[in-house]
Amino acid sequence: MEYTRPSCLKGSPSGFCPGCMHSLAAKIIAEAVDELGQKDNCVHVVPVGCSTLNLLYWDGDIVGAAHGRAPAVATGFKRTNPERLVFTYQGDGDLAAIGLAEIMGAANRGENFTVIFANNQTYGMTGGQMAPTTLIGQKTTTTRYGRDPKDTGYPMRMCELISTLKAPVFVARYALNSPKGINEARKGIKKAFELQLAGKGFTFIELLTNCPTNWGMTPLQTLDYMNTNTIPYFVPGVYKDKEAETK
Amino acid sequence: MSKVFMKGNEAIAEAAVRAGCRFFAGYPITPQNEIPEYLSWRLPEVGGVFVQGESEVASVNMVYGAASSGCRAMTSSSGPGISLKSEGISYLASTKLPAVVVNISRGGPGLGSIQPAQMDYLQATKAMGHGGFRVMVFAPSTLQEAVDLTYNAWDYAERDRNPVLILMDGCLGAIMELVELPEFKSADREGTKHWDLKRREGENRKARLLTPYYPEAMLEHENTMRGQLYKEWEENDVKVEEFMLDDAEYVIVAYGISARVSREAIFRLRAEGFKVGMIRPITLYPFPKKSFQNLNYDLVKGIIDIELAIPAQMRDDIALEVKDRAPVYTYGHSGGILLDDESTYNAIKKIVTGGAK
Amino acid sequence: MKKSLIFSGSGGQGVVSAGMMTAKAAVEGGKYATFLPEYGPEQRGGSAKCTVVIDDSPVVSPLAKKCDVLVCMNELSFSKFKTQLREGGVLLLNSNRVTSEVKRDDITVISLPVDDIADEIGNPKAANIVIIGALIGATNIITEDEFLDSLKKKFASKAPAIMEMNTVALRRGIELGQKQ
Repeated sequence: MEYTRPSCLKGSPSGFCPGCMHSLAAKIIAEAVDELGQKDNCVHVVPVGCSTLNLLYWDGDIVGAAHGRAPAVATGFKRTNPERLVFTYQGDGDLAAIGLAEIMGAANRGENFTVIFANNQTYGMTGGQMAPTTLIGQKTTTTRYGRDPKDTGYPMRMCELISTLKAPVFVARYALNSPKGINEARKGIKKAFELQLAGKGFTFIELLTNCPTNWGMTPLQTLDYMNTNTIPYFVPGVYKDKEAETK
Repeated sequence: MSKVFMKGNEAIAEAAVRAGCRFFAGYPITPQNEIPEYLSWRLPEVGGVFVQGESEVASVNMVYGAASSGCRAMTSSSGPGISLKSEGISYLASTKLPAVVVNISRGGPGLGSIQPAQMDYLQATKAMGHGGFRVMVFAPSTLQEAVDLTYNAWDYAERDRNPVLILMDGCLGAIMELVELPEFKSADREGTKHWDLKRREGENRKARLLTPYYPEAMLEHENTMRGQLYKEWEENDVKVEEFMLDDAEYVIVAYGISARVSREAIFRLRAEGFKVGMIRPITLYPFPKKSFQNLNYDLVKGIIDIELAIPAQMRDDIALEVKDRAPVYTYGHSGGILLDDESTYNAIKKIVTGGAK
Repeated sequence: MKKSLIFSGSGGQGVVSAGMMTAKAAVEGGKYATFLPEYGPEQRGGSAKCTVVIDDSPVVSPLAKKCDVLVCMNELSFSKFKTQLREGGVLLLNSNRVTSEVKRDDITVISLPVDDIADEIGNPKAANIVIIGALIGATNIITEDEFLDSLKKKFASKAPAIMEMNTVALRRGIELGQKQ
């Protein structure tokens, strides 16, 4: 077996910060697309945030959406092109703050596409402001002394929220800070795509990622930080698997 | 062709279906509810899709998604909802996606009133969203015109790769009138084939990117090209009705329902010997500038802008073309108070007989 | 000849459907017509009003301040709209609900207990059909045949019993309209 670049990624070097997991996420998504032979059939709905940079690296049909609106754009596309493999890739500000209505609406309607949610607890592109998923005590440019739940509430757990809805068929969270997590995530994404291609309904994959630049850490430090801080609060696992439930 | 006695909102919806529209997303708001209600059952009949969005914002973005695959798509709303859609309309313009947006307008600002008004002229013609883009604005005055304009709207939208706005007051949305419905256009068209994300059988195209984001130089280039397009609209795409202008001493300017009430008044005033005519913009943007340039200002003693808007909104566009060659008067109501034939006639007569300042 | 008609009453009295049926009958009879309903924000029980304009050529304005025919199904609508009836116009009143005196002598007044008549026929909902009958009896804006043909399209196949009752209601209205 030969280890090559997935066909959905261009050869150009990525512009993501060193150690950022966005490029890793893009790679495992691309691998899942390849494994299913869906390169030409796939449509990537690109949101607003660091993840917008996928415009430059993704080799496949792309439609760029307004901030938070990717699930609505995907709804319009998928409903009129049901045979296509459609996925959005959204950050936490995009999905859990400004796009909360769109993600909940699409999930609740059971739209037959896949949402991949990159949760790194901060707004990367705009310079590290507090996100809805920012951990308690975490310092950001808008929470200088650490996030205080008195003023800002608590980090929002999207897998838990979405799994309370009846329509979604597969909801799972993976952490990308270990080879094991990465492998499981790749399998989870592939499973979500397979369910979509079988017309089963809404699938949601949350990826715990990092932001060395705005967390103010070396890439290596972020891996440890995730183990001690992120993972205990955002617990990885399968939150909903309708297929397994009915078996 | 079939003639049907139809409600304005439903006539627009049926015309859209016949134009090949196969996707609609919308959110309830008065006075346009008959459009989504009608399309919720009508679109599935022709293999189309209706989605009731979780918001106006979501709905217009669903239209964006459908349009990106070349599907003829539409959304509709009224003032408060159109404001919410303005983000999505700006993105449609930026990504150069064709779509049709319908505004059945009501009193404003804010929640305003659910009753008919023409308070969204400035929003429609000057800034239908952020970022300095324009859209063609069609303003029907009869239901037949509403049907015809809707039926052809996607042809313009696809030609220009730009959204088209249909601006019609709630009064025309609510009335019933006899309309002749056109034949069905084919839903399988080739007009968007060179850029859309559809995958067609046997076609082996490269991957495509549709994005609202541009690097600086490319964005300036796009802005320049769009500026050029807007100029072409002014040259080629103005729709206007010039009514009894040949000997007119007073020229009414009105669109939509206001134009119908004004026409009634003109008939009465003409019968009494007053030389009154009308310029009725059908495209509010591009504005019918030439109609004003062609007026004989040796003859014209005054221009009367009649709108369901206070303060009058079209007045500035008129004044820019008239250039102090004649006084521009305004008359109208707002807030959901409709113009009526009696008081409109009286108001015009007062101006024509020199009784108004 | 252009005629404008205002139908008014309270929600639930069939005022808006009376206007719509009248306009439809005119259109199906080969004339031109517009129908404009006016609603308040409430879904039930508010006041109801609609304006119908009928003409031999396409209707210029669907809005009419002054009307040729005013239908008032209750007291409130009578007090609200009575001044909008043009000189020489026809006023059609539901005398079961409009109790105050008509102080105009420049109009034709047709007053009939449409609620009682509809009850007698056995369909209280047909009160609006009775008043349309009176309109047909008293004016030549639409004809009995035009209206019945139009009504048949709506009811005949689906609900022959209702069609039957409506026909009786219409005839009673026409009789009374002709008499006054």
